[in-house]
Amino acid sequence: MRSVRRVFLRRLLNALVTLMLVLILNFYLFRVMPGDPVKLLIPQDPSIGPEFVERQREAFGLGKPLPEQFLIYLWNTATLDFGLSYYYRTPVWDYLLDSLQWTLILVGTSSVLMIGIGMTSGILAAWKRGGAFDTGSLAFSLFFYAMPTFWFAMMLIVIFSQKIPLFPPGGQLSIGATLWPMDWDRFMDLVDHLVLPAASLTIGSIAAFSLIMRGSLIDVMTEEYITTARAKGLSEYKVLKDHAVPNAMLPMVTLIAMDLAFVVGGAFQTEQVFSYKGIGWATIQATYKRDYPVLQAAFLLIAVTVIIANLVADLLLIYLDPRVKMD
Amino acid sequence: MTKMSGESAGIGENADADTGWVSRIADMLRLSGPTKEKFLLARKRGKNLWTVYKSSKTGMIGLVMLLIVLGMAAFADSITPYGPFEPTGAPHETPPSPRNWLGTDLSGWDIFSRVIYGSRVSLMIGLVATAVSMGLGTLVGLMSGYWGGWRDEVLMRITDVFLVIPWLVLMIVLAYVLPGGASVTKVVFVIGITGWSSTARIVRAQVFSLKERAFVERARAIGSGDWHIVRRHIFPNVFPLIFANAILTIALSILSESTLSYVNLGPRSYEVVTWGNILNDAVQAHAMTLGYYWWIVVPGLCIVFVVLAFTFIGFALDEIFNPKLRRR
Repeated sequence: MRSVRRVFLRRLLNALVTLMLVLILNFYLFRVMPGDPVKLLIPQDPSIGPEFVERQREAFGLGKPLPEQFLIYLWNTATLDFGLSYYYRTPVWDYLLDSLQWTLILVGTSSVLMIGIGMTSGILAAWKRGGAFDTGSLAFSLFFYAMPTFWFAMMLIVIFSQKIPLFPPGGQLSIGATLWPMDWDRFMDLVDHLVLPAASLTIGSIAAFSLIMRGSLIDVMTEEYITTARAKGLSEYKVLKDHAVPNAMLPMVTLIAMDLAFVVGGAFQTEQVFSYKGIGWATIQATYKRDYPVLQAAFLLIAVTVIIANLVADLLLIYLDPRVKMD
Repeated sequence: MTKMSGESAGIGENADADTGWVSRIADMLRLSGPTKEKFLLARKRGKNLWTVYKSSKTGMIGLVMLLIVLGMAAFADSITPYGPFEPTGAPHETPPSPRNWLGTDLSGWDIFSRVIYGSRVSLMIGLVATAVSMGLGTLVGLMSGYWGGWRDEVLMRITDVFLVIPWLVLMIVLAYVLPGGASVTKVVFVIGITGWSSTARIVRAQVFSLKERAFVERARAIGSGDWHIVRRHIFPNVFPLIFANAILTIALSILSESTLSYVNLGPRSYEVVTWGNILNDAVQAHAMTLGYYWWIVVPGLCIVFVVLAFTFIGFALDEIFNPKLRRR
C-alpha cells in the first residue's frame, strides 16, 4: 500500500509542477515578450476611453515591478478575474463560460461517439486481424489522419449544406434562438446544428482510438491466459468478451485523456469552420480582434483542463491496474 | 567499427558485390584511410536498408507518392503556365477555363499554378520545422536520459508542459505573441517548438535502456568521456528511431502549417504560396458559398497526398527500426 501512495503523490506533484510551469509560461508570454506589455494588455483603439485603460492597468497591476505583477496575476487567476474583453467590454470569464457550454456540447457528443465507434471498430479489426474489415478500417483511419480537420469540415459543408441542403452551414442554433428554456423544437434545432460539426470532429478522431484499441487487443491476444481460456474450450466470442477486451481496455484510460489534447485541436478547427461559438472559436476570434485578455484566459483554461484530465486518468489507472502499483 | 552494434548492422550481408565502383567514387572524392572506410560503410548500410525497405509495400507506395510531389516542386517552372504572382489577364475569381484550369483567385492569379508552386514552400516548411523539433527533442532526450537524476526531472517537467498543452492552442498563442510578423521563419519556429516534446520522450526512453548496455559500460571502463560516449555510442543507436520519427513529424508539420495558415497566422499569400494559404484565400473569398469548390478541393487533396506519402514511408521505416513493431 505504501508504494501506491508514493506513486499517487508523485503523479499529483508532477501535475502541480506542470500547472505552475503553465502559469509562468502564460504570464511570461503575454508580458515579458519583446514589445511594451502595457501596449499588449491595453487596447490601441482611440474609441476606448481612458477609464477603461485605467481599469485594465489596475486589474493587471501594470507598471508595478514584475514579481508583484506575477503575484497579482496569480491572485487574479485564483479568483477567476481575467479582466475585461477589449472587444465585448464584458468580463472575460463570463464570456468564456458562455463559450464553454457550446464546446462541452460539441466535444462531449463527439467524444462519446468517437470512443464508442473507435473502440468497437478497433476490437473488430483486431479480432479478424488481416481481414477485410481490418484492412478497410486501417485505410479509412490513415486517410482521415492525413486530412486537415478544417478541410474535412469545409468538405462537409460543401456536400451536406451547399450541394444537398440537409443541414445548416454554421452556428449553434437558428439566428435569434436561445437554448433555454429547452423544449422539443429547440432541442431539434440544437441537434440540427450539431450534426455536421460533431461528424467532423468524430470522424477526424476515430482513427486514433481505433488504432490504439486494435494494437492493445492484439497485444493481449498473445498472452498466455488467452491460450488457457481457449484451451478450456471457451468460444472465441467468450474469450474476447470476458478475457481479452477487459484487459485491453486499460491502456485506453490513459490514451483517452492524452488524446484530449488532440481532440481540442480538432474542436478548435471544427468550431472555426462552422462558426460554432465555443472556446476554440473564441480563441481564434481573439487573435483576429487582438483581444489579449480573452486569448490569455482561454489558453490557461484549456491547459488547466487538459492537465486535470491527464491527472485523473493517471490516478484512475493506478486504481484500476495493479501492475502500475509495482513500479 | 564494432562500436555501432545497433540493429542496422545485422541486416542482409550481401552488399559487397559492387563495392568496386563505390570504392572508385571514394577515390575520386579523394577520400582516404578512415574517411574512405566510413564512406564505404555508410554506402553498405544504405544498401542494406534499401534491401529491407524494398520489401515493404506501403513504404514503396509512399516513396512513389513522395517522388511525384518532389517532381511537382522541382519542375514547377516548366509545368505551370503562369508564375505564382503573375497576372493572368483573366478577371478575378473566375471558374475553371482552358486558360486557367482551376480558375483564378482574389488577385487574378492562376490557382493551378499556385497549387503546383505551393508544394515548394509547404515541403520546405515541413522539412525545416521538423529539423527544428527533431534537433530540440533529440538534445533534450539525450541530456535527460543520459544524466538522469534531478536534471532529468527538470527537463521532463518542461517537456510535460509542451506535451500537455494542445498543439493547436500552443501554436496559435505562440504565433500571435511572438514578434516577427507572418514570416516563414517564424512559422517554422512556431511549428518546430510545438512539436519536439514527444521526440524527447522517445529518445529519453531509448537512452535509458542503452546506457545500461555492455558496450557503453565498456567505453566508460576504458575512460571515454561523456561527450564521446553520447556522440559515438548512444546517438548512433538512437538515430534510426529518430529518423523514422522525423519522417512522421514532417507529415504533422505540413498539417500544422496548413492549419496555422487557415486561422490566418501563417505566411501571407502575397509573399509566399503554400497550400494552407491558398485555402485561407479561398475562405476569405467565400469560395464555399460562391460554389468555387475546385479552389478548396484541389489544395486540400494535395495536403492529404503528401501527408499520406510521408506517413507511409514513416510507418515502413518504423517497422524496420523499431524492434517492438516487428511482426510477431
